[in-house]
Amino acid sequence: MEVFKRAILQPGPPESFALQTVQEVIKPQRQTKLAQDENQFLENILRMLLQELVSSAVQSGEQIMQYGQSMDDSETTQGHIPRLLDIVLYLCEKEHVECGMIFQLLEDLTEMSTMKNCKDIFGYIESKQDILGKQELFARGKLVMLRTCNQLLRRLSKASDVVFCGRILTFLAHFFPLSERSALNIKGVFNTSNETKYEKEPPEGISIDFNFYKTFWSLQEYFSNPTSLSLAPTKWQKFTSSLMVVMDTFEAQPLSDEEGDANNLEDESANFSIKYLTSSKLMGLELKDPSFRRHILVQCLILFDYLKAPGKGDKDLPSESMKEEIKSCEERVRKLLELTPPRGRAFLHKIEHILEREKNWFWWKRDGCPPYEKQPMEKKAVQDGAKKRRPRYRLGNKELSQLWRWADQNPNALTDPQRVQTPSIMEYWKPLAEDMDPSAGIEAEYHRKSNRVYCWKGLRFSARQDLEGFSRFTDHGIEGVVPLELLPPDIRSKYQAKPNDRAKRAKKEETKGTLHHVEENQIAAPATEADGEGLRADGSTAPMELDAIAVPAAQGGTPTPDDLQKQSSDTDVGQEAGQLEADAEGEVEAGMIDGETDADVDLEAVG
Amino acid sequence: MSGDATHWDENAYREAILKEREIETRTVFRTAWAPTRNPNPDTLLVASSDGSIASYSIPSCISNLPFGFTNIKTQKLFAEPTCFFQGHDGPAYDIKFYGDDEDSLLLSCGDDGRIQGWRWKELTGSKDSSSLLGGDIKPLLDLVNPQHKGPWGALSPIPENNAIAVDTKGGSVFAASGDSCAYCWDVETGKVKTVFKGHLDYLHCLVARNSASQIITGSEDGTARIWDCKSGKCIKLIDPAKDLKSRGLVKWISSVALDASESWLACSYGRNISLWNLPASECITKFSTGSSVQDMLFDNNQILAIGADPLLNRFDMNGVTLSQIHCAPPSSFTISLHPSGVMAVGGYGCLVDVISQFGSHMCTFRCRSL
Repeated sequence: MEVFKRAILQPGPPESFALQTVQEVIKPQRQTKLAQDENQFLENILRMLLQELVSSAVQSGEQIMQYGQSMDDSETTQGHIPRLLDIVLYLCEKEHVECGMIFQLLEDLTEMSTMKNCKDIFGYIESKQDILGKQELFARGKLVMLRTCNQLLRRLSKASDVVFCGRILTFLAHFFPLSERSALNIKGVFNTSNETKYEKEPPEGISIDFNFYKTFWSLQEYFSNPTSLSLAPTKWQKFTSSLMVVMDTFEAQPLSDEEGDANNLEDESANFSIKYLTSSKLMGLELKDPSFRRHILVQCLILFDYLKAPGKGDKDLPSESMKEEIKSCEERVRKLLELTPPRGRAFLHKIEHILEREKNWFWWKRDGCPPYEKQPMEKKAVQDGAKKRRPRYRLGNKELSQLWRWADQNPNALTDPQRVQTPSIMEYWKPLAEDMDPSAGIEAEYHRKSNRVYCWKGLRFSARQDLEGFSRFTDHGIEGVVPLELLPPDIRSKYQAKPNDRAKRAKKEETKGTLHHVEENQIAAPATEADGEGLRADGSTAPMELDAIAVPAAQGGTPTPDDLQKQSSDTDVGQEAGQLEADAEGEVEAGMIDGETDADVDLEAVG
Repeated sequence: MSGDATHWDENAYREAILKEREIETRTVFRTAWAPTRNPNPDTLLVASSDGSIASYSIPSCISNLPFGFTNIKTQKLFAEPTCFFQGHDGPAYDIKFYGDDEDSLLLSCGDDGRIQGWRWKELTGSKDSSSLLGGDIKPLLDLVNPQHKGPWGALSPIPENNAIAVDTKGGSVFAASGDSCAYCWDVETGKVKTVFKGHLDYLHCLVARNSASQIITGSEDGTARIWDCKSGKCIKLIDPAKDLKSRGLVKWISSVALDASESWLACSYGRNISLWNLPASECITKFSTGSSVQDMLFDNNQILAIGADPLLNRFDMNGVTLSQIHCAPPSSFTISLHPSGVMAVGGYGCLVDVISQFGSHMCTFRCRSL
């Protein structure tokens, strides 16, 4: 024992001396691993040492985990006990000694210490969680650890040491695998001893609706033992009638947002209680408390959830009529929850989400609690496979090659009659013409003439299909382009050009236009075909203008700057617009994906 | 023999039918909580359309009747009164307690134009011997409305009393009468002290504002008037429906209510309630309800209103609905509030619904008929 005491005081990491020390004391048969009785012997020594250390720490009045801590020079050394634990932990980890030893020491230590010191000890346990949780150690020590923790929990007060309790539970949750079933209520037995007591006799002097009071709290009996409901129909009837009374009362007194806010101001966590306060004096206040109401309603939802859950055996399943009743009750409860401030709707969503997840646990339990950990072998196989198939894309990235392949797979996409095609200008301008009707009274903000994308598209269609109308753009702006037939007669006159002017222009257009058409068609045809290949890919979702480009006929209609000059020699604006149009198209063809944004930019120039 | 009509007594048949109809359509016109030292709601007095006045013990009703809001159509729900007597020929319209201790008088008024006063102690004391045969109890006070003299000494019928109010300090009882007058009676002498004349049609309702020695009356002519009791003059005329286009429909003032501080007045006309601040003599808010209002009460800063649908509405001072509680009578005519917060709603079908401060139904019962 003396040897160990010395060892504790030795500085430096435990690796350098621990094993030697053990060998020195025990003189083991084998070099690195101790035999059964040797282990026992070592354990006894260590436990005695620990006891001695604790008692001397107590005598000196120090915190046991800090006992022996020296603060020489600038660095603080560990206390004696953590030092001892570290050494043992090291030995256990390397399997020089029996692995359960460290757990045994920890259990001893917690049992010897006061609650205050246990907090420190537990801090130590938490800090070594990774090592303690290792497979070899865990297998030997899990039961001891569980016992230690449960012992601690038992000693703690559930009301005042909530933080420490939480720490222990968090530790346990980390320490044990998710599918550990030791803490599980496998059979789903209800804690019927959790009884909500309430007054059975009306109080003297204070007037309350005692019948209501009794009815209200009698619900708790069913909540604590839901199995009784599905077995006895009379009980179920009593329950529903009581619940109706309660819900009627809730419904009759909707809570205002103010009441919800008032409650929010108080610290909710501060006055959280795990039991209801059932004094009859409080009934009136409780009915006005939104969080109280929520508790009750959520209890109802949980109960309904339980009753609806399948797999309890056929005879336990609710009957059809009962199912109906459950459904209607549940609907009411939901509605009430939604109406309960603050943020009732969000609250209801959260609760429903939680209940949904609860169902997963239910299924898991029913399937015999299979472990959640995936087998590492499977994972590896998948990873290897992924590595082998190194993706190589012909066109640079996945999307592009997908588009390319899509074209091959759908050769008749271009000829498909269902395909989105260029609308006729008559169709296209109809909405704007409707907006222009002053009797429609469209505000400027919503008027389609201020929708720039719409105007730009329309100008392009008009330029191809209705040059006559397109030319009116110079005189009347975008509204001039709208085909006159679409307009109501009274507005039409405003946009009508002089008849002889029109005739002249038409003639010119015919002679000059046809020549161009022929030429252009010949040049444009191969180009558009190539484009078409790429474009088909997105036929269904592509913006309209992309499709328009792919139609050869439309291509022919595009006026060149030359054309425009002849048509409207008197104005420069039109020409400019036309040029920009042409530019825009060029850009669209070049960067088809960006077509939409380019269009916006160009339109800005036009307008 | 079913076809044999030789002994057919048509009058008896007619009477039987009328009787049946009468029972079906009996209505509670007023409920009142009896004054007791017990803070619990104990005894409820009910005045109904057959002229009977009955008292019911709430605890015994609760224990004898099914709990919760029960379907009135499927259940009989008859309650046994602790005291029952015929107060008036024709319907009894209002009951009030004069004084708030054991020695108080129970005042009642009705269609026969009488105001009668009984000693409450005697009524409660008599319940052991002849609870249901209260006919031999004589009223302590019996005031009959004066008849108007016409030409050649013709007398008008005795006008009915639609509502009463009391001023215990001044020793007076106010009555809202069918001859479009309100009367102030001296309880000691049994004589009319003041006549408040000015309304154009009969009076529906009346409240006493004793702190300012005023009364406020509501009439069929669509106005409410504030009267000074000393001079008997009308101080202010309130015409809440003045700006309403459809005046014809909402003409009458069906009820008036004062709050505890006697500075707020609520008037109901048709489906609307208007709220007046009396010191400022200004209309503060007007709001509409789902159906025509038939009785109102102030509960601190809230207004309880009942009317032609089976709902008890609670409004705040801005007219925002705070709660709506379903109550048993399809149309309710009276609501009374116990200091503990328990409300009693009475109405058509001779139904009384007692609602606790939680909004739950303590008990619902049908009153006994003669």
